[in-house]
Amino acid sequence: MKNPLQLSPKDTINAFLLFFVIHSSQVGVGIHGFQRFVYHDAKHDAWISVLLIGIVSHIIVIFMIKTLEMYDSNDLYGIHQDVFGKWIGNFLNGIYILYCSTAFFAVLRNYMEVINAWVFPNLNPWFLSATLLLIVMYAFLSGLRVIVGIAFFSVVFSFWLYPLLIFPLEFSSSSSFYPILESDIISILKGAQSMTFTIIGFEILNVIYPFVKDKENVKKHVHLGLLATTVIYLAIILVSLAYYSEGELARTIWATLTLFSIVRFPFIERFEFIAINFWMLIIIPNLCLYIWAAYRGTIRLVKISAKKFVWIFSIIIFIFTIVIQTRTQINMINTQFGKVAFYIVFVYPIFLYVVAALKKKLTSQKEQKE
Amino acid sequence: MFKNKFKLSLSKKQSKVESDRDGNEPKENMIPSATNSFIQAIKDATHNPSDLIVKSIPPNLTLIFIENLVDERTLNDHILNDLYKKPSESPELMKSLLSIPLLNISNLLDDALSSMMTGTVIIHIDGYSQVVLANIATRETRSLSAPENESQVIGSQVGFNESLSTNVSLVRRYIMNPDLCIEKTKIGKRTNTSVSLLFMKGIASEEMVNTLRQRINSIDIDAIIDSAALAEMIDDNSLSIFPQMLLTERTDKFCDGLMNGKLGVLVDGSSMAIICPQSFIEFFQSREDQNLRWQIASFLRILRFSAIFLSVYLTPLYVAALTFHYEVIPQAFLVPLSESRALVPFPPVFEALLLEFIIELLREAGARLPTKIGQTIGIVGGIVIGTAAVQAGITSNILIIIIALSALASFTSPSYMMGNVIRIIRFPIIILAGFWGFYGIMLAFCFILIHLLRQSSLGTPYTAPFYPPRLKDWRDSIIRAPFSYTSKRPTSSRPVDDEKSNPEPVNPEKS
Repeated sequence: MKNPLQLSPKDTINAFLLFFVIHSSQVGVGIHGFQRFVYHDAKHDAWISVLLIGIVSHIIVIFMIKTLEMYDSNDLYGIHQDVFGKWIGNFLNGIYILYCSTAFFAVLRNYMEVINAWVFPNLNPWFLSATLLLIVMYAFLSGLRVIVGIAFFSVVFSFWLYPLLIFPLEFSSSSSFYPILESDIISILKGAQSMTFTIIGFEILNVIYPFVKDKENVKKHVHLGLLATTVIYLAIILVSLAYYSEGELARTIWATLTLFSIVRFPFIERFEFIAINFWMLIIIPNLCLYIWAAYRGTIRLVKISAKKFVWIFSIIIFIFTIVIQTRTQINMINTQFGKVAFYIVFVYPIFLYVVAALKKKLTSQKEQKE
Repeated sequence: MFKNKFKLSLSKKQSKVESDRDGNEPKENMIPSATNSFIQAIKDATHNPSDLIVKSIPPNLTLIFIENLVDERTLNDHILNDLYKKPSESPELMKSLLSIPLLNISNLLDDALSSMMTGTVIIHIDGYSQVVLANIATRETRSLSAPENESQVIGSQVGFNESLSTNVSLVRRYIMNPDLCIEKTKIGKRTNTSVSLLFMKGIASEEMVNTLRQRINSIDIDAIIDSAALAEMIDDNSLSIFPQMLLTERTDKFCDGLMNGKLGVLVDGSSMAIICPQSFIEFFQSREDQNLRWQIASFLRILRFSAIFLSVYLTPLYVAALTFHYEVIPQAFLVPLSESRALVPFPPVFEALLLEFIIELLREAGARLPTKIGQTIGIVGGIVIGTAAVQAGITSNILIIIIALSALASFTSPSYMMGNVIRIIRFPIIILAGFWGFYGIMLAFCFILIHLLRQSSLGTPYTAPFYPPRLKDWRDSIIRAPFSYTSKRPTSSRPVDDEKSNPEPVNPEKS
C-alpha cells in the first residue's frame, strides 16, 4: 500500500465522535432554505424527496466505508494515488481539494448573505468574512481534535433549536400533504437531487477515516449521524409543507428562518435574530472540516505548513467573498456547485469503489500467479 | 591598541582570580577546625546580622544560631543543659548525647549555613572540622482558621495556613496512608522556598507525576513567594486567561483531589495549595456538593453553571438587544425598557461599560480596604452610586439590575481565580456586543469555545469530561449523581486504580 498515514495516538479520535462530525458537517447553510428547491420540483411530495436522498446517502456511505476499509489507514487522497497512479491520482486530488474549497466558500458566502439579509443589512461583507475566517483559522491551527471538539459542541449546543419547530405547527394544516404522490417519480427524483447542496458534508468521512481509533464502530456512528440529519431535514420539510400555503414555499428563499420568526416567548420575539446569529456555531465546524479536508489533500501535492496554507487559503477565500456579492451570483454558485457536488458525492464513490475493488482483485490475482 | 591590552590584562586577572577561587573552593567550603576562624567564616558569610548569636561553652564548644529562628525552650532544656553537664569530646559522641530528634553532622560550611537559616543550632568543637547541626526550629505560624475565601456551610471548617509543615500534617490527618507520597524540593535561588509535591501512590498516574516534577524542577527563578505564582509558571499555557490549576485553601478539597488521583503542590509560606490536573468544569464544583444530598447538590451545581452563563452573557445581551435588535424584545417589555432609558444620554455600550467599571471599582476597593470600612463601601456603592446614577440620568434602572445580577452571579464560582476570569471576560464581550450585536456575542462565544478546547491541564483535556466525551464522568459534572453511581474515579486524571467504592448497595434490605 502506498502512502499510509503516520498518525500519533494524539491525533486520533473515537468512532463515537464521528456521529457529531458527520452530522455537523451536513447541517450548515443549506438548511436555511432548501425547501424552495425541493418544492420547485416535487411540489407537496417534497418530503418523499428528502426521505429518498436520506436513504441514498446511507447507501453511498456504505460504498465509501467499503472503499476505505480496503485501505486500512489511508484517506481518499492516498487511495487516489494508489488506484490511479501518481499523475491521475494527483489530478483527482486537485479536483477534490477544489471541491472542498468551493464547499467552504459556498458555506461562508451563504452565511454572510443571510447575516446581511436578515440581521445587519449594512454590515460590510469583508468584515463578516474576515471575522469568520479568523475564527476558523484559530480553530484549524489548533488541530483535528479541537475541530472535532467544535463539531461536538456545535451539535450539543444547537440541539435545542429543533424543538422550536413546534411553534409553527399551531398555524399549519396536515391537509397540504394530500394527495400523496401527486408528483411523478421523475420530479421527486429531481427534487431529491436538488437537496444535494443541503445534505452533502458526509464525504468528510473520506478524509477523517484514518484518524478514527476504533474502526469497527465507524459504520454505526456514521449511519446514526446521517440518520439524525435525515430526520431533522424530514421534520423541517414536513413542518414547512404544513405551514406554508401552496406556492408560498416556492417564493420563500429562507423558509426555515421564516419558520423561526414565528417562535415567540414571553421575553423574546422574532426568534430568527437569535437563531441566525447562533447559526455561527453550526457553520464553524462545517468550515473547519472543509478547510481541514482541503489541507489534508494539499499536503499530498505540495509540502506546506499548516500556518502558511491557512493564510493563503483564507486570503483567496476572502477575496472571493468580496468579489461575489449579488443574490443571483450566489444562487448560481449554489446551483452549479450542487450539480457538481451531486456527481462528486453521490456518483463518484460508487465508481471509485468499483475501480478500487477491481484493482485489488487484479493485484491479488497477480500475486497468486507469482 | 591600548584598550585591547587593557582588556587582555583584565581578562587575565579575572581568570587568575577564578582559578584561585577554584583552587580554594573546597578549602573555603570546609569548616575550619579552629574556633576563631570558624566564627569569622560564619560572620563573613552572613554579614554579621544583629540576631546572630555566638555562645561559647567552656572549655571547647561554640554554639552559633539565629536568635529568631530557634525555639528557646528546647535550646535551654535540651542543648545548653546537656552540654554544660557533660562536655563531649567529638561530634559523634555529642550526637548520641543530645536528646534532639533532628541531628546531623556536616563538614561543609554551606550546609551549616543553609540549615542555620532554617533554625538550626551549629555546635562546633574546637579542633574538629565537623559540626553538629541540631534542628530546633520554631515555627511562627498563624493558628488554623476557617478558609476565608472559600467558605462553605456544611463540611470541615479548617483551611491551610502559611506553614508547610502544618499543611502537610493537616493532609496527613485526612489521609492516614503510607501511600501518600511527599516529595520536597527547594525552589528560588535566593529564597530557598520549600515546595512539596503530594500524590497518592497507586492512584495518581506516574507519568503525570513525572511531568509535574520536571516542570517544578525546571523552574529557574530568584524567589517564589506564593503558590499562585508557581501555579502560573507550571501551567500548560500560562498565556491563557483561564487558570489550568486549581488554587485552594481548603484542606478537604485538597485531600479529595489527591484521592481522585490528582497531584497537589504545597508551597512554604503560602496558604493556597495547587491541585492539578483540573478541568474547566471542576472549577465550578464545590467540595460542599459532596456533603449535600445529591438532589440538592445537583440543583446547586446547575444554579452555579447558569449563574456563570448569566454573568458572562446577560449584560452583552442587553447591550446587543438595545443597540441593534429591538425586534426581539416583546412590546410589553419594550415600553418600560425604553422609558427607563429615555433620559440616558449614552449609547447602551457606554452605559454598560460605565456601570461595570463602577462595580469593578467597588469590588476592588472592597478587597483592598479593611473589613470594617469595606462594608461601608458596599453601602456607599450600592445606595449612593446606584440610586444617584439613575436619578442623575446616567444609567437606566434595568441595567443596574442586570449589572448587579451578573456581579452577584460571578461570585458563585467556588474558585476565586475562576471568578476573576468570569468578571474580566465580560468586558470584551460587552464591547463586541456594542459594536456588532448578537453577531459579536457569537464571535466571542465561538472564540472562547475554541480557546477552551485548545487548553489542557497537565496534558489532560481542559473540557473533560464533555469533550472528549467520557459519559461515565458526566455523572459527576453538571449534576452530582448519588454515590452508588459514582463508584469510579474520574478518568480525566488518568488514575492507576479507578475503583473508588464498591458499587454494591451498603444496605442489604434495599436490594
